[in-house]
Amino acid sequence: MTRTVRNAITVLLLALPALLRAQDMNLPPDVEKLSAKAKETVEVKMDGPMLRWASKFLSAEDPDEQKAAKLITNLKGIYVHSFEFDKEGAYSAAEVEALRAQFQAPVWSRVVGVRSQHDGDNVDVFFKLEDDKMAGIVIISAEAKELTLVSIVGPIEVEQLADMGGEFGIPKLNTKAISKAATKSMAKAEKAGTK
Amino acid sequence: MTDKNLNQIEDQLKRALSRQEAPRDFADQVLARVAEQHASRTAPRNPWWRIFTQPLVRWAAITATAASLVIGGIHYRNVRIERAKGEAAKQQLMLALRIAGSKLQLARARVNEINATQTNQSRREEE
Repeated sequence: MTRTVRNAITVLLLALPALLRAQDMNLPPDVEKLSAKAKETVEVKMDGPMLRWASKFLSAEDPDEQKAAKLITNLKGIYVHSFEFDKEGAYSAAEVEALRAQFQAPVWSRVVGVRSQHDGDNVDVFFKLEDDKMAGIVIISAEAKELTLVSIVGPIEVEQLADMGGEFGIPKLNTKAISKAATKSMAKAEKAGTK
Repeated sequence: MTDKNLNQIEDQLKRALSRQEAPRDFADQVLARVAEQHASRTAPRNPWWRIFTQPLVRWAAITATAASLVIGGIHYRNVRIERAKGEAAKQQLMLALRIAGSKLQLARARVNEINATQTNQSRREEE
């Protein structure tokens, strides 16, 4: 009996990290190592309270920020991992497959699965439905020199989200520049906080 | 009234109105009194700032002013840090939404391409 209880506690403790980060997708260890190989890495992890807080700084005068404020109203989290490489073949198909395998029916439905032999661009979009309502979306985009994983937890308007990406897949703004600016301003804020 | 009486009155008047020398310190006395009245009118006897002549009060005031300056400075700094962090969080949020949006657009574009190719193929087959 004591041994059973002890085993149960051990299992619970081992599972705790996974439970704590249940909202984020579990990146296979090999994929997490990709940031070392990547030329450019973007990591955004924002849970519900962080989203609420960030939304306070969205301007009501900027149309894009207005849209963003509307989009994130009921969200519980946004998690983005994006790696850009110098060369092709920096990640393996098995690593991407391990990611895809996390999103299985009946909880998840794959609504888009594109495999392009021509340019090697593979995109998967998974929806999570709860009581016929959108409860989350996961996008896995595996391009020749870029791997992007997006997980959005909570109800979201897919059309509005697509609008945020600009016209025909061309981002409205240079994401690299924004990423650098975001990292810079975060570092600046952290530096000011430690002074 | 007789001439004698008139002369008497005239004499009395002359005596009364005759020039008399003022005491030597008369002017000093007048000036001293004017200065005294002016001083009592302009300067209150116990001005409020006289409280600061007491060392304890003076040091308490200096300490309170320094403390409010330090607290104000810290508050201002914290507000600035909070604002900078908020702006950074906003930029990260916008970046995440733009990446997500662009990948959805990419998926949509690929699906449209496949649809267009299939439609063209079926048309050709029909022809």
